Amino acid sequence: MSAQTSGSEPLLSVRDLVQEFVVRGGTVPGRGIQGTPGVKQGVVHALSGVSFDVMPGETLGIVGETGSGKSTLARAVLQAPRPKSGSVVFRGADLTKLRGGRLLQARRHMQFVWQDPFGSLDPKWKVRSIVEEPLIAYREGDRAARRKRVDELLDLVGLDPERYGKRHPRELSGGQAQRVAIARAVALNPSLLICDEAVSSLDVLIQAQVLNLFERLRRDLGLSYLFIAHDLALVKQVSDRVGVMYLGKFCELGPGELVYKQPLHPYTRALLDSIPSTEPGAARATATIKGEPPSPIDPPSGCRFRTRCPRATEKCAAEVPQPRELASGHLVACHFPLTEPAPAGAGSGMSSEATTRSVPTTAEVQG
Amino acid sequence: MAVPINDATLATAAPPLPSLVDARHLRTQRVGRALRLWVPAGILILLLGICFVLPLIVTLPSSTSGNIIYNNEAPFSPGHWLGTNVQGVDIFSQLVYGGQVAFEISISVTVIGMAIGCTLGVTAAYFGGWVDAVISRVLDILIAFPALVLALVIAEGLGPSETHVIWALSVFSIPAFGRIARGGTLTVRGLPYITAARLSGTRAWRTIARHIMPNILPSIVTFSLLGIGVTIILEGALDFLGYGIPTPEASWGSMIAAGQQVLTAQPEYVLIPSIVLLITVVALNTLGDALRERWGVQ
Amino acid sequence: MSEALLEVRDLRVAFAAGGREIRAVDGVSYQVEAGRTLAIIGESGSGKTVGCRAIMGLLPDTARISGSAQLRGTEMIGLTDGQLRKHRGQDMAMVFQDPARSLNPTMRVGTQITEAIRTHRKVSKSEAGAQAIELLRLVRIPAAERRFHEYPHQLSGGMRQRIMIAMALACRPRLLIADEATTALDVTTQAQIMELLLELQAELGMALILISHDLGLAASYADEVVVMYAGKIVEQAPASRLFGTGGTVKMRYTRALLDAIPHIERPAHAELPVVGGRPPDLSVLRAGCSFAPRCPAAADDCKEKEPALAEHAAGHRWACWHPCENGVSA
Repeated sequence: MSAQTSGSEPLLSVRDLVQEFVVRGGTVPGRGIQGTPGVKQGVVHALSGVSFDVMPGETLGIVGETGSGKSTLARAVLQAPRPKSGSVVFRGADLTKLRGGRLLQARRHMQFVWQDPFGSLDPKWKVRSIVEEPLIAYREGDRAARRKRVDELLDLVGLDPERYGKRHPRELSGGQAQRVAIARAVALNPSLLICDEAVSSLDVLIQAQVLNLFERLRRDLGLSYLFIAHDLALVKQVSDRVGVMYLGKFCELGPGELVYKQPLHPYTRALLDSIPSTEPGAARATATIKGEPPSPIDPPSGCRFRTRCPRATEKCAAEVPQPRELASGHLVACHFPLTEPAPAGAGSGMSSEATTRSVPTTAEVQG
Repeated sequence: MAVPINDATLATAAPPLPSLVDARHLRTQRVGRALRLWVPAGILILLLGICFVLPLIVTLPSSTSGNIIYNNEAPFSPGHWLGTNVQGVDIFSQLVYGGQVAFEISISVTVIGMAIGCTLGVTAAYFGGWVDAVISRVLDILIAFPALVLALVIAEGLGPSETHVIWALSVFSIPAFGRIARGGTLTVRGLPYITAARLSGTRAWRTIARHIMPNILPSIVTFSLLGIGVTIILEGALDFLGYGIPTPEASWGSMIAAGQQVLTAQPEYVLIPSIVLLITVVALNTLGDALRERWGVQ
Repeated sequence: MSEALLEVRDLRVAFAAGGREIRAVDGVSYQVEAGRTLAIIGESGSGKTVGCRAIMGLLPDTARISGSAQLRGTEMIGLTDGQLRKHRGQDMAMVFQDPARSLNPTMRVGTQITEAIRTHRKVSKSEAGAQAIELLRLVRIPAAERRFHEYPHQLSGGMRQRIMIAMALACRPRLLIADEATTALDVTTQAQIMELLLELQAELGMALILISHDLGLAASYADEVVVMYAGKIVEQAPASRLFGTGGTVKMRYTRALLDAIPHIERPAHAELPVVGGRPPDLSVLRAGCSFAPRCPAAADDCKEKEPALAEHAAGHRWACWHPCENGVSA
């Protein structure tokens, strides 16, 4: 799904990304033994053909629930692990075709911020060394130059180098630790920052601080972001364009305002209805979709959302909806988008009971 | 649903509430933690000092031979701080030199185990795949060897000596450390900061040396303290059976073996080395536990 | 005004850890009536979870608890574990955040529910089984008979949480405490579970306590809201008074929370009003208001004297020397 924009080349261009994980029988932590050990049980279709662009200076937000594949998407772009197929063209080079040193060089301008601020920092290292590590690895300047740069970076994220440089991660709060992770991520002046639930584990007030930091870096350093989260309001606030994922595919992709104010896909509508709001006079959040998400091992035929969609018909079961551009830059993959009234025979595409085979989490699958 | 409060409280400040937790209890907690660390550490330092430093300062009577005339002397006799045994050999000297042997062997075995075992374990876990498969099989084979039996065989074939005991017990300690190192590395390898290091451009060996090793070190160190204790006991057993340090060289195990014959008449010949052995091992274990508590190792 | 089902007065909980005293809950009082929903909102370290666990008797022995928590007139604080076990399940029950860890992965779902039933009532296994299936239907699990025989890993997160709710409701408790029960769920599943809880509340006449950090949840589903910070209640009011049109938030911390939450109505890239600093260290006793170090409106008296929680307006209590005017920070 890519919008034709005039002018500049996209910074990141992803086409038809596919990622699958093989689920073998054997012992799975927390579940005991399933199936015959070693024997392939099924394939998790984590990503089934995802395409999008990120333009320079833009923030693309990706929102989705569990099993949508959004975290897998982030890792596939990074090539950790490599996607099964598809292309990831970053600054003109296709990362899927590069290996070793060439991949390292090409990926230098793409950095990652994880959800768990403490998990992404080595507990035995001091803050200075953590931020300095990329500079050492890419041989940026001598010791004095690096020291200066580390001071600059710590200042940039709002941490006093004198006070915090010598500390270990356990002496930091969640917000401070995440700032250190961000300082490390921008050390090499990347063009793209991929944030995978980067503020989700922070307290609300700290979250706001870190979000403001992201905004400041965006303005001062001209960073582009791929911002992945499950919190819809959060994603809207930080993004220029927003993509909504469901079970490994994009449902809808477009400018944030449009996607949230005039959603085209029934799933987006359902998501928006479920958000509890603190605004005075807001309607109470309602559960407009019923049922459970289907298993990514055995996704429904045709449109994957049809088993829970009140507008689904037989056509939805038979044909996979292709993304279409309905408004400028606003794409949707649906046979009966919300611009039209409900089709005749709506509800017949829904199954009476959605399949709920056990859905392994990404952590379990990747081991 | 609010509880109405009268006007008098509307503009008052709230005084801080008194402490619920007994201050004495807090102090006991703090003191307890410190004691559990420094008492065993102190005991071990004392033991090491007596065994290795004392003989350099004070000339001790021989630990291998004695004058049969002065046998069965009681403790605190002149010239014999803990008395002499059936053959007239000074007991205190035997403890000191036997202790040297015990520590030398157990520390050597542990160091060999750490060096070789950890290298194997970390390499296996970090690189995975066939490297892991091969190394794990090697470690499994080593661990399947019963250490004591192996020591007996070596002693029979090549004759008992300190070096042979060290080889034999290393066969056991290498895979033990290998397992611990492998397990620790597997845990650490999955953590985001390792991926972050790779993303920062750090190469494999540097990642292992600077990220993995420091993070598994606490569990390795606490394991090694327990390992030293176990090795001392194993070594003592070998000496007791006569397949370790050859007599008349002093060792705690052979002291117990010799004392066994006069156990009912003069139990102190068995009790004294046994108690020293006990204190040493308990001190090592307690120190290991205290360090584990302090470093947060699982 | 109906009689309070649960009345908590001056609840305090402290721990001794690492040689220091940690005041997790420092004098908290509130009430819940039958059929009503109370939301306890706070961030990590606010004491919201510890307080309710103290009432349920789920804290470790190292916890020191004082104060009173009366459930239908019976004092809960100070009861032995054996006595509490009678009340747990019959009078009060709790649903936790992570159903994956609360359910035994090696036992079938039906067995776990029947066990929960038979702990409290003397019924035969088959009778308990029938009741269990009824419970599964009560929590709107489709194909209840089939689910009865499945293992937890065969169910999704939302389903597992429904099972937890079913187990909690096994003996029709008067009070249900949901401790971050929907935090780990997707927003669509959260909406489903919350709807279920409200329907059950209407059917069974239960009182519901929602513990969360999500003000939106409180606004949408609660009758009364209590906001906690550093172990104390800093604001308490009916939800309509805090969030409704013309709603007023008085305490600065609540205001900061509301401002910091992402709102869909805000334009993209808006700068958020931030409050600096971090949550206070609960082992350090500080004079003055605990929010003062971070409060944008802190004055000298805030740092010296701690404001008492008092009812300054009808039904609305707050603890602040310089509260917000007109619902907007002055």
